[in-house]
Amino acid sequence: MVSMTMNPSARRRSVLRLATICALVGTACAGNAQLGAKALLQGSDSLRSAAAEGALLAEDAVSGKTTSNYVHEHAVELSESASQVEATLRAGSTDPSLETERGQLVVLARRISDDLQRLSEASTVEQRTLTGELQAAADASRRIGEGLA
Amino acid sequence: VSLKNILAVALGIFSAIGGFVDIGDLVFNTQAGATFGFQLLWVVVVGVLGIIVYSEMCGRVSAVSERPVFDLVRERTGFGAGLATLIASEIVNLMTCAAEIGGVAICLQLLSGLPYRVLIPLAVVGLVVSSWVLPFRWIERLFGYLGLCLLVFAVAAIKLHADWGRVAHGFVPGSHVGGSTAVYLYFVVGLIGAAMTPYEVYFYSSGAVEDHWGPKDLGLNKVTAIIGYGLGGFLSFALMIVAAVLFLPNGITPEFLGSPALAAEHAIGQVGLLLALVGILFAVGGAAVETSFAGAYNLAQFFGWNWGKKERPARAPRFTLSWLAIFALAMLVVITGYDPVKLTEYSVIFSVVALPLTYLPILLVANDHSYMGAHVNGKLANFLGVLYFVVIIVIAVAAIPLLLVTHGGQG
Repeated sequence: MVSMTMNPSARRRSVLRLATICALVGTACAGNAQLGAKALLQGSDSLRSAAAEGALLAEDAVSGKTTSNYVHEHAVELSESASQVEATLRAGSTDPSLETERGQLVVLARRISDDLQRLSEASTVEQRTLTGELQAAADASRRIGEGLA
Repeated sequence: VSLKNILAVALGIFSAIGGFVDIGDLVFNTQAGATFGFQLLWVVVVGVLGIIVYSEMCGRVSAVSERPVFDLVRERTGFGAGLATLIASEIVNLMTCAAEIGGVAICLQLLSGLPYRVLIPLAVVGLVVSSWVLPFRWIERLFGYLGLCLLVFAVAAIKLHADWGRVAHGFVPGSHVGGSTAVYLYFVVGLIGAAMTPYEVYFYSSGAVEDHWGPKDLGLNKVTAIIGYGLGGFLSFALMIVAAVLFLPNGITPEFLGSPALAAEHAIGQVGLLLALVGILFAVGGAAVETSFAGAYNLAQFFGWNWGKKERPARAPRFTLSWLAIFALAMLVVITGYDPVKLTEYSVIFSVVALPLTYLPILLVANDHSYMGAHVNGKLANFLGVLYFVVIIVIAVAAIPLLLVTHGGQG
């Protein structure tokens, strides 16, 4: 049961991301092959989480609290997570009334994934910039999610 | 408190570290804190008390009768039900072992920056060599005590200035705020189930035989169960608290094994990060050893083979081959790129089968005068044993529906 829960891997997606992706894909495959508001909301939550975690990581990197290996590896897995949400959102369609939000989330997902990828190799100066950018992206995800709730 | 006494409780600490803070629990506990704040702390207490009750019971049975759990499962449930329990528990052990090996590789990757796929075989070689070379007691000590680096999360909780009044309130069961009721129940069931994972008692009871416990060690058994699992529960509290303080307000739902380490890093800095990663490495590595050995113990005890790490491999060849085969199969599973998360999700289904059939024989034998003599269960042990058996049944019935209804805790 340890398992109801869990873990990692690159292969490492957690239940959250898997469930989000399953929900997105499932919703897209079902009925009219459309992503509903709930699926979009889950996508925005995942993006907010990845961006906020990335912002925290970048902040710690600027403060010299971390190691370069950890920043690199963790930023890459967060970036992959955002990329997968993007791919799923891109592949699905949605009700016209939700199309704006879907489009915004796709753009945001790309931006978050790119920022996290940059963070994995960033200099201290760039890490400082990325802290702000990722936090802004997390806030934007939250606002979109609030609109969908 | 002498060094000898400290070393003596290693079995409990090792069992608890591997059982409470393995790859799944590390993420699950932080997810619980990141989703419901401090509101689920009471559930950990319920789970810890349950595993203490049953570990003490099966340790006592092993010390008095020199018979570990799986020996009793077959005798008390009959061949058919015993075989079903064996198959379910072996699948759980294999899948969990695979997930833990994946976790060791991820941890090494976060420390070294080397590729994940290269690190998988290296992780397995390291685990096999240490399991082969070290005596049983030193395996307990190595993984158990180095796993205690996870105590860095308790320091992180203090440094993050948790609101201790609200933390204390979390130990009182009550209605929850935020999140859906189904998700809340999913976490309740998951946390109790995780605390009472069957492989912990398989390992603990066999370990008691490995450590040559007899009736004179019944006091040590009590202390070991209480301290070991108490420590495991304490680590769960710490993980949940740091997640509640750091992740919840930021909208972070930790998804990766590396995420909990971020909390230690943010609170303490580089030393905190390294201690967290080393602690995770040994906790997860310990869980891999625990599951491979638990699998071999179960097979050997069910089929009546000679078993034990205390035996030379030539004297217990099928037992030795079994744990080596479990490591090898687990490596094959994880090296294919199969997602450890999915592995652990599926293992729930098999855990549900194994849970009642594992704990019922312990309760029955601990009440049997012909086995236990003067050391039979007292009134309190029986009351708690029956109460927790009801809890186990409820968990077994509720786990899969909640998993499906909540989409794995998503709501």
